[in-house]
Order: sequence, then C-alpha cells, then structure tokens
Amino acid sequence: MSGKATLLLIVGFSLIFLVVSKNFGDVSNRAVDNFVNYYSETVSHDIAISGANIAANNIFLDPTWNSGYSNVPFQGGYLDVQLQVLDPFRNIREVTVQGTFYGNTSTVKVKFAPSKFSKFAYYSVSEGGTIWWTQSDTVWGPFHTQDYFRAHKHPVFYGKATTKRSLIYYTSEAADKPLFLGGYDQGIDLPLPANAVSEMEVIADDDGLKFSGHDTVYITFAGDSLRYRYRYSDPDSSYYLPTAAPNGLIFAKNCVVRMKGTVKGQYTIGCSSGMSAGKGTIYLDNDIVFHTDPRIDPTSNDLLGICAENNVYITDNIPNRSDINIHGSIYCEKGGFGAQNYSTRPISGNINLLGGIIQNTRKAVGTFGSSGIKSGFAKRYKYDERLMVASPPFFPGTGGFEIVSWYE
Amino acid sequence: MGFSTMLDIMGSIIIGGILMMITWRLSDAATAKTYNNSGELSLQQNLATVAQILEHDFRKIGYCSDWTKFPDPSKAIIYADTSEIIYVTDLDLDADMDSIRYYLGPTSELYGTPNPRDRVLYRVINQETPKPSNLGVTAFKLAYFDASGDEIPTPVTVPGLIASLEINVAVETVAAYDTAYSSAFWRQIRLVARNLRNR
Repeated sequence: MSGKATLLLIVGFSLIFLVVSKNFGDVSNRAVDNFVNYYSETVSHDIAISGANIAANNIFLDPTWNSGYSNVPFQGGYLDVQLQVLDPFRNIREVTVQGTFYGNTSTVKVKFAPSKFSKFAYYSVSEGGTIWWTQSDTVWGPFHTQDYFRAHKHPVFYGKATTKRSLIYYTSEAADKPLFLGGYDQGIDLPLPANAVSEMEVIADDDGLKFSGHDTVYITFAGDSLRYRYRYSDPDSSYYLPTAAPNGLIFAKNCVVRMKGTVKGQYTIGCSSGMSAGKGTIYLDNDIVFHTDPRIDPTSNDLLGICAENNVYITDNIPNRSDINIHGSIYCEKGGFGAQNYSTRPISGNINLLGGIIQNTRKAVGTFGSSGIKSGFAKRYKYDERLMVASPPFFPGTGGFEIVSWYE
Repeated sequence: MGFSTMLDIMGSIIIGGILMMITWRLSDAATAKTYNNSGELSLQQNLATVAQILEHDFRKIGYCSDWTKFPDPSKAIIYADTSEIIYVTDLDLDADMDSIRYYLGPTSELYGTPNPRDRVLYRVINQETPKPSNLGVTAFKLAYFDASGDEIPTPVTVPGLIASLEINVAVETVAAYDTAYSSAFWRQIRLVARNLRNR
C-alpha cells in the first residue's frame, strides 16, 4: 500500500515538475528565438548596407562598373548586388542590394546620378591665400574646396560642405566652428577637369552655336534671341537661339566674351583660351538675368552656365557701378570669378548672384576696411535651388556619380 | 492497531504535510516565476518591436522615392527635442513626403496598468489622430549630434545641424508579480540616416 502511494506521489510530482519546467523552457526558447530573430535581422541589414557601400565605392572608382555581385559569402551570410540603369538619357542608376542571414533578407536601394559642378553654390581649388570664411559669410548650397577650409567666428553653410584638406579654426573650435546645416566631410578629392571648356567645341560643332576667329565677341541675350558683334562699334547681328543652338551650347573659341542680357531657356556659354592668358575670359558688362526669376515663379525653366577657361570678371564700367545682377552658374577652369580693377574701382554696390561659383582660384571683388567697403562690391550670393536637380546644358561634370537617394 | 501502525500514520501525516507545504510553495513560486518570465518575454518582444519600428522609420529620414522632389534631405528634420521628433520621409513610396512625429505621452494616460511608469510612445503620420499603443515604454530619449560629432543642445534650434542621432528606449513590464517590474534598455548609439548626408 505505502509502496503504491509513494510511487503515485513520485509520478505526480514528476508530472508537475515536467509541466512547470516545460513552461519555463518554452519561455526561454521564445526569448532566445526573439533575440536570434532580431540579431538575424540586424546582421542581414548590416550585410545589405555593406554591399551598398561596396557597390557605391566601385561606382565612384569606376563609373562604368555594372557587374554587381551574386551570392557572395559575407559576414556569415550572403550578399547580392544588382545594378540597373533607370534612365539611360539622364544616366540615373540604381543599385539594389540584398543581404541574407539565416533566412532573413534585408534590401537596400541606392540611386546614383551623374555629378555636375553646377550643383555647387561654391567650389574652389585654391582659396587664393589665407582667406577666412567669417561670421558674415553664409553659403546657401553645396560647398567644396580642394584647399584648407578656414573658419572664423561660425560661418554658416546650408548645404553639404566638403574639403579635400582639413578644417582650420582661426582661434579655436569653440570660437570658430562653422554651422554645417547640410553635413560636413573632409578628405574628399574632387578636382576640376583640365579641358572641360575646350572640349565643349565638339558639342557646339554638333548642334550648338560657335564663334571663332575673333578676338572679342560681344553677346547680348535678348529672350529667345542672341545679339552679337565682334567690335564695340559694330552694329548687332542676331540669332534665334532655338534654331541656332538647339542643344543649348554657345561656344566662343579662343577669344574674350563680353556678355549681358536676359536669358530665356537653358543655355551654357563656353569660352576657350587656346592657351593664351588674355583669352578664355568672360566679362559681364551688365546684368545677365533670367527671363523668369525662379524666386518669383518656381516653374521657371531658365538656366545659364557661364563657363570660362580662365576668368569671369565683372567689367569696370558705368552700368556696373550700382549693383550687378547675375543669374547663372559660373565656372572658371583655370582662373576665378572677380571684379575687374577691384581695388581701384569705386564702391559699386552689391553683386546679386543667383546661382553658384565654381572656380580654380578665389578672386577678390572689392576691398574692405574697418568702416566697410572701400572699393568694389559687397557679396549677396543666393543659391539657385534648382541646381540641385538640374544643370545648364553640357555644364562640366565631375566624371563620376553621386548618391541622390538611399532606401533601407 | 499497534504502536507501529500509529507511528506509520503519524509519520505519513508529517511527511504528507511537508509534501503539501512543498507543493503549495512550489505552486506559489511557479506562479510567480511563470508570471515574471512571461512578462519578461513580453518585455523583450515589446523592446524588439519598438527597436525594429524605430530603426525602420528613422533610417528613412529624408528619403523620397523621386529624389528630384526633395533634393536637399538636410531639411528633413523639422523639430527635434529630447523625447520628441518630427521629420519627413516618403513613407508609402508615392514620391510625396509624409511627416512622422514621435513623442512620449504622460504617465497619467496609462492609469489602467499597474506599472506607474509606463507611457505611450506615439507615432503620428501626417495629420492622423494619434493612436496609443502600450508597449511598456518608460523612457524615449533622443540625442542629436552635428557633423563634427558634438552633441547639440535640445530642443535643437537649427535642425539642419543634425547629422546623426542617439536613440534610447527603456521598457518595463506593464504588470508584475509583487510589483517586481522587469526592465530592458535599447540604445542605438549613432543612427545615421543616410539621406541626411547625400549631395
């Protein structure tokens, strides 16, 4: 009797312990499953991110790279990379990366677009000596310099700012640190091309407008038309631009261009030097503005690229003695953008620029003293936000791609 | 009935009593352990869910399926404070930007739960009515860092300065045996929403 009771007790207790331990075991297993699942998702995501970074690096090093990867073992899982051309005309590409780890798959999609110098609000190879970005300086769009980035009393940069070299503070980080509202990176090497302006000739020969064989070309944009002459005293001749330059490129070979007017449509003017220091320079004789100001009408399609192999100068003349309005993206391959006779010309008001400046060497537009401007211009530079997504025709490109969208 | 039988009965009663006490104690302990372990499991699942949702959403700050419609992602963060953030992203991939607002409700909202510290973490898309969902969140703390990696004081007056975020989430069990609440903590030390650094 007592033997049976003991047996029943042992069996009963064993059953209770089994049920309780099973419950505890289940809870533990589910907790571990939960942890493992989160871990697997995290690792698969990391693999996909790594794949996207590898693909981006390949595209930056070789813009023609399109081979992708298939089932490559990585970090205990696998990654697949596929490259697709979404828009052959605009050369928009998308990389799709899948990272797989123990049954979990994460996907990252990255879009790339050709990078144009016109997207910069400010670009320079050389800052032209020890010039500091100061408290009164604000740059409204992307910024890059190949030189040192010198900051004094918190200049403001609304777009992404990058430098090839490094950031130098006038006194200390606390006193001078710039406000980077669009991010900051250093060690970014983005050189200007050596012959982008002279290479425009081939494009102009194809379907653009070309001036050659003259020392100087005087150009006046007049809406759809372009008036031109070769001597100051000559009468103007005229081209109807949509038929004279259907691809939007106007090229002046080995000469000096003097320009002004109102631009309707999308045009780039290129001016080469033929290795002559006095040529390949564009003078702005008066306002050069859009027919439709995009700040007033955001649907404006007017764009202008002003591309000189050497310099772009604001002419020292009477029309430019009380402000100058410039709408367009200025590109100076071997020189810079400045004001003619900047240190001797009278106080001339403001440079109201809507666009960007891409230059080899920073140049002066005036002189300043403790009481303010002593000669030349004050700067009122406003970035044309449309340049983030649009570019004047055949504006020099960086030769590479940039990431425009990242989905994960 | 002899002495030895009496001794057997008394011994049985004593041993049976001890066993009953053990069983009773076991039942109590098993109930407590089951309650707390199940709570911890829920806690862990809640934390993993919160982490996955936050990672999913925050990684998309500034994303737009048509990049030309939102070319400057540095403008994506609209408001940033210690426990509240508002930003835009293309959530449904229709190339229209949606706003997402995360914020933590007050403890008084969850008076129905035994835990006095749990709060509702709200996720509000566009102008939708906030929908509460209690995952036992007791802390949701955000820290913001600029491009140099320096922390930005909150509330952030210039959201464009933000280059990366730190996300801290603490969750507790909403109910516990003998008010022994379990807690768990998740931190994303530096979440860099990649679109903030584009262009």
